[in-house]
Amino acid sequence: MTSPSGVFCLAALFVSGFAAAASGTPRLSDGHPDLNGTWENGGGIDFLKPKQGPNGSVCVTACGPPPAPGAVDPSAVRPVPDRPRYQPAFESKVRDLAARQVQLDPVLRCRPPGVPRIGPPDKIMQTAREVVFLYEDVSGPFFRIVPLDPKARRNDDSESYLGDATGHWEGDTLVVRSQNFNDETWLTDDGAFHTTGLKVTERLRRVGDLIEYAAVVDDPAVLAEPWTLRPRKLQRTDVEMGEPAPCVEQDLQHMVDDTHHTNPR
Amino acid sequence: MAFSTKPAIALLVLALAAVVPVFAHHSVAGQFDVDKTVKLSGTVSRVDWINPHTYVYLDVKESNGSVTTWKLESLPVAMMRKAGLSRQLILGEGQKVAISAHPARNGTPALGYILLMNYEDGRHYQFGRDPNDKPVFVE
Repeated sequence: MTSPSGVFCLAALFVSGFAAAASGTPRLSDGHPDLNGTWENGGGIDFLKPKQGPNGSVCVTACGPPPAPGAVDPSAVRPVPDRPRYQPAFESKVRDLAARQVQLDPVLRCRPPGVPRIGPPDKIMQTAREVVFLYEDVSGPFFRIVPLDPKARRNDDSESYLGDATGHWEGDTLVVRSQNFNDETWLTDDGAFHTTGLKVTERLRRVGDLIEYAAVVDDPAVLAEPWTLRPRKLQRTDVEMGEPAPCVEQDLQHMVDDTHHTNPR
Repeated sequence: MAFSTKPAIALLVLALAAVVPVFAHHSVAGQFDVDKTVKLSGTVSRVDWINPHTYVYLDVKESNGSVTTWKLESLPVAMMRKAGLSRQLILGEGQKVAISAHPARNGTPALGYILLMNYEDGRHYQFGRDPNDKPVFVE
């Protein structure tokens, strides 16, 4: 059993650790944590570890000699995919969509990826009235405007790819709730469809030069339970976003079959 | 790998299956023949800095004097940027570059997926592995 003095020491350590983290958190004049900046979020490509060589050479993947026969190629190892769990009646539909990803995935046709598939923001612009998320996605550049007034609404309130978001602060955590999505996006790369009843809650908490990003997805019509995504840590970066690259699909006409892979994002 | 100035295209049927880069949207193997590698030599005339894949256009001078422009698929912009690569770097200021690439499975001529680029000035950009290439980077 832990002694009273031990409990005190643990509590003191916890409090001092929290204070140290909180004291390193930049804040705006309104007292809220400063989320402004450009953030390295992995973008679903956390596994990519480019290596710099002499003369400006770069190895992006499959560096080093080939693996021995039968051995695992470390460059081909990917994180375990993060997936929602569906009600039994819808599992076969997800499997079918996943098998036909090449034919059906909207992202392969440069359509918006939706939320949460788009991932955490690449850049955040924050005022006392609203927060703006900027994205540099493989499907193209996107933005989401998050008013901090819960009564704020778009003039056009039709269902949309990225939904309607409102934000509020819970202590030092920015909580973003989004709804009013259309049903034309997938939650993941592998057939995870959703309905217009989709609701997504994202939480962003800045600690020093990091933002802890968490998201929970609920779609009670089809999911067996709310899906809590794998938490992410966004790292402040000096690498500014580039000019938005357009998405121009040129591959599908040359696909011979529907082989595809499991993406980690 | 030594830089080759030979303009001829050598089609190598590999005994070993190449390791397929699996981070693109679709499988590279669905569009390109990962059991074959073509060796190209020429100059980069254009780079399309677009998603979901960037494209590199390589002008290859044939033995009869004509020029064949290969359209070569590569990584999405975000991956290029993470690797510190840019459109200008890939263009290579008009210098000669040797490229290993998987050809198209459906027989489309002069279409491929880049595994390795070797520039005349000694730079290498590696995006995949051809078992027949000497490893450029050894971990």
